[in-house]
Amino acid sequence: MKLTHPVYISAATQISIQQPLSEEWINAPVMPEGLYNEAIDPLFKEWLSAGEARRLGKIMKRAVATSAVAMNRSGIDNPDAIITATGLGCVKNTELFLTDLCNNGEQLLKPTQFMQSTHNTIGSLIAILNKCHGYNVTYANGDISAETALLDAATQMQLGDIKTALVGAHDEMTPCYYTLLERIGYYGVKGMVTSGETAVSLMLTDEKNDSAICRISDITVLHKASDSKIADTLTKTGEASCIIAGFNGKAETDLLYKSLIERHYPDSTVLQYKNLFGENMTSSALGIYAAVSILKHGRFPSAMYVAGPTGKSIDSIICLNISGNNIGIVKLTAL
Amino acid sequence: MDELIKQLKEEIIDVLNLEEVTPADIDENAPLFGDGLGLDSIDALELIVLMEKNYGIRLTDPAQGKEIFKSVAVMADYISKNRKK
Repeated sequence: MKLTHPVYISAATQISIQQPLSEEWINAPVMPEGLYNEAIDPLFKEWLSAGEARRLGKIMKRAVATSAVAMNRSGIDNPDAIITATGLGCVKNTELFLTDLCNNGEQLLKPTQFMQSTHNTIGSLIAILNKCHGYNVTYANGDISAETALLDAATQMQLGDIKTALVGAHDEMTPCYYTLLERIGYYGVKGMVTSGETAVSLMLTDEKNDSAICRISDITVLHKASDSKIADTLTKTGEASCIIAGFNGKAETDLLYKSLIERHYPDSTVLQYKNLFGENMTSSALGIYAAVSILKHGRFPSAMYVAGPTGKSIDSIICLNISGNNIGIVKLTAL
Repeated sequence: MDELIKQLKEEIIDVLNLEEVTPADIDENAPLFGDGLGLDSIDALELIVLMEKNYGIRLTDPAQGKEIFKSVAVMADYISKNRKK
């Protein structure tokens, strides 16, 4: 969907397996080792008192911290909407809750784990802490959750219903859940990138304020799309000087990215991000975050380079996320 | 009783995630709710679960909790008289 009414990204930040709340990864990225990596956490006491933090799982603390930084950098402390994307929600608490459920004969369940085992706990906590009483929705659409959340925010801005939106993408991983996903081939395939954890917060505005970094010019989410539909959509999205794709080391997926990029974007610089940020259900948000940072700084680390021209200035980036026959396409344009 | 108070303090710290609190920081005679440790209603639910899980004491009347959870010392006294585990 081409966005006729402008939508700007005024702040973007992350906590992941790279340095937290920082763009240091552009200069000196952490090169992940092994197949399972947890996020590098900042000290959360800047945003949460010990009393507030004690009940919160890591995913919640990370969401609070990235949201606070995005709000602070954009100068918007009460967004019209809080829209959250998460593939698995608060999976650590869910796991603890289910383990107790099994071990204690469905008795003696802990209220805190129960309260924090739902997907929408994240968005509601951000709203409560920041007294944002507006639109609040969580998308749990698997690997395509981040683009769906962005699409909701952008669509409402096209309709004039909201002017600002805090869009977040949050996922955590546990060793147990990693093992389950490994069994079904989601992780651990030979040659694949590491697993990761995502906390990304983006502040969207419908007006170009002083902190605006780039513009979202197109967002499309395709479900169960045919080859012709995908080809047609990519043609309509138009060209871009750079493509950031979700190459993850799985031969089948990477081949699909390669063939689409060769066919539609033969002259673009092609970059990857999952080799630095890892794979999980909302890692495409880290790709979008990386794109925003590249447009802001005008450069990218050599570890991201895959193919295409180098040295050309990057003024537009298409973020391509393929998950089976679901596809998310986000086009960003420099200001 | 001293041993039970010490054990109870450790269990409370663990179950309520009082990360920056040590057993020595908890005055066994200070109120658990309000001023003292500053616990709230969700913590009360966690303490009810703790009592049943660790000591086999089932509180059926929520009003009982108000009395029993006055302080660690009161809790320990109640547990020592009513424990089934």
